[in-house]
Amino acid sequence: MRAVMKTIYVCSDTVTGIFSGIYDAWKAGMTEEECGIALKGMLEQQLFCDYVEVEETEHKAIAVEALIKKHLGRQAYWDIYHAVLSSDREKGDAVLGTMLAAKTLPDSTKIMEHLSHPKVEKVFELSRNVGGEAHALKGFLRFRELENGVLYARITPKAQVLTCLAPHFADRLPLENWMIHDKTHDMFVVHEAGKKWVLLWDELWNDMDGNLQFSEKEMEYERLWKGFCHTIAIESRENPRCQLQHLPLRFRPNMVEFDEKS
Amino acid sequence: MRIQESMTLYEKLNILTDAAKYDVACTSSGTSRKNDGTGMGSCEQSGICHSFSADGRCISLLKILFTNECIYDCKYCVNRRSNDVVRTSFTPDEVCMLTMEFYRRNYIEGLFLSSGILKSPDYTMELIYATLYKLRRECNFQGYIHVKAIPGANQELIQRVGFLADRMSVNLELPTAESLKMLAPHKTRKKILTPMRLVQTRMTENKQEIQLYRNAPRFVPAGQSTQMIIGATPETDYQIMQVAESLYQKFELKRVFYSAFVHVNEDSALPAKTDEGPPLLREHRLYQADWLLRYYHFQAGELLSEENPNFNVLFDPKCNWALKHLEQFPVEINRADYKMLLRVPGIGYKSAVRIVKARRLGSLDFQDLKKIGVVLKRALYFITCSGKMMYPTKIEEDYITRNLLDSGEKLPKEITNMGYRQLSLFDDVRFRENFYESSYENHICM
Repeated sequence: MRAVMKTIYVCSDTVTGIFSGIYDAWKAGMTEEECGIALKGMLEQQLFCDYVEVEETEHKAIAVEALIKKHLGRQAYWDIYHAVLSSDREKGDAVLGTMLAAKTLPDSTKIMEHLSHPKVEKVFELSRNVGGEAHALKGFLRFRELENGVLYARITPKAQVLTCLAPHFADRLPLENWMIHDKTHDMFVVHEAGKKWVLLWDELWNDMDGNLQFSEKEMEYERLWKGFCHTIAIESRENPRCQLQHLPLRFRPNMVEFDEKS
Repeated sequence: MRIQESMTLYEKLNILTDAAKYDVACTSSGTSRKNDGTGMGSCEQSGICHSFSADGRCISLLKILFTNECIYDCKYCVNRRSNDVVRTSFTPDEVCMLTMEFYRRNYIEGLFLSSGILKSPDYTMELIYATLYKLRRECNFQGYIHVKAIPGANQELIQRVGFLADRMSVNLELPTAESLKMLAPHKTRKKILTPMRLVQTRMTENKQEIQLYRNAPRFVPAGQSTQMIIGATPETDYQIMQVAESLYQKFELKRVFYSAFVHVNEDSALPAKTDEGPPLLREHRLYQADWLLRYYHFQAGELLSEENPNFNVLFDPKCNWALKHLEQFPVEINRADYKMLLRVPGIGYKSAVRIVKARRLGSLDFQDLKKIGVVLKRALYFITCSGKMMYPTKIEEDYITRNLLDSGEKLPKEITNMGYRQLSLFDDVRFRENFYESSYENHICM
């Protein structure tokens, strides 16, 4: 018996990258055993594998998005999109495996209900984690007003959640100038009052939060907010463990009310 | 009574937050609204928690009183008129500014405005109306607003406020009319239920208006809620659950909140102060049971009875029910109907939906259940997968009780630390610490 050479498509850790990889694998028409997706920088070289660098294009990404939406439905696309944002190195494989599994179902829009399939279950779990982190940050993110009136927020998420947060804040604060800085992934979302938000990658800006100048009013409102958070707690019900469970430590460095200074 | 004239905004916020903190219900859920592009704010159906205070409660709304001055003398209340505390009031402008600036920085999801009774119910309600009007119409705030309807206030006024708010609540204060008479001499049950009924009727009418005219203004779109104090008066859990059930059925409330009685005043009409602190475990059990009424198709009469009027301290109400109804178990995961799945300890309403969907695509085994989110160490005594149990177990109350307690069924610290041990019944139980949130109701937003 001949050992099957597995083709691994290597792409960057972005939605465009991973969808381009899936595009190539899908086009090649191979089975789950014959192909895989790996991420640049997180590669574990294995024997009997062909490593193919993926040419990443918007066109491929859009085609895959349309393919998923058409055949698997919008809800499944939501799950897959969130899974692709996660920090898991096997996410590409999980998504590809899920799409291949959907082909075997009579009604492929039911794919995300097929939780006994390991790849589907993986996508489900990743999507739940990323969705959870994005939802948490909708609450835990803190804007601070700069001298020029721009609202600036810094986050350090595990997953690349910026594109989940941006539409939420764009809807909520349409008349404000604001930006969210994802320090983990060197990414920014910038929103100018009355316009659409844009996503930027820039390592040069990444050290900017050291020399930010905040407005005079900012310190006053932070003081009021800290006072509020302190007073609202009932002493006889104190329960740091419960607090910790709902608000894990990793979010706190970016939240003013947990800033020990002043 | 002391009234200070010059007080900084910081001091005012401190006083009026402190006075509002015993109010429960900091939720911002129940309505979804996009921004129209001309103002600030939106609402998410699920609600959003923005922070958690040291007591582990969620901070979602700027929860404040408009004023802590009050003409009433409710014995349990920190703001009762006979208490000697510093009194102050916000102005509508101050409330608007705080809400807008906090919201811009993403500190909060909106405003929760309650108030002591200044001069008269009407006068107070007017002030609240003026504040909300300013916030909605002048500041163009489109975030969440929860406001108290004040019993005894003019109906017309309450209606106008309802068109500006997302949620309204009237405090039931105490579970029964007798208790109310004893502890809140200026309030009556009738006065409290009147505005509750008004809001309900108006909401029903509004639904029809919206069907006719899609753009008709919305009246209290996130529904009505109430709260009552637990442990200040002698009602049993059974009585409390019956009150809650009838509020859900007859007044169509969205939520009933329970607030463990916190000793803030010394009064002969109140229970004697002890070292045990507020009855948090009891409150927790009531929330669990409340969840069962709203999402699990249980009825109060199934969980408790005249003979058995209080919740088990060791088990949550659903587990307790299952142990008393073993004749209905084990349940076959691949066949049982949705309502029966809901009754299995360790299966939440989300996992029940997933089970029903997933089993259409192939039969499920215990490993699959784990992935779906079922808590197997609780469920395993009550279920079979394709006719097999996970381990050979007996379907026997004593046996399951012992095993559940042994297998890390963690207990609240109230039980580990205090007098329940005196009961000889529990002598052989191995107590474990802390389980406060481990049950099916993982995140109770209070």
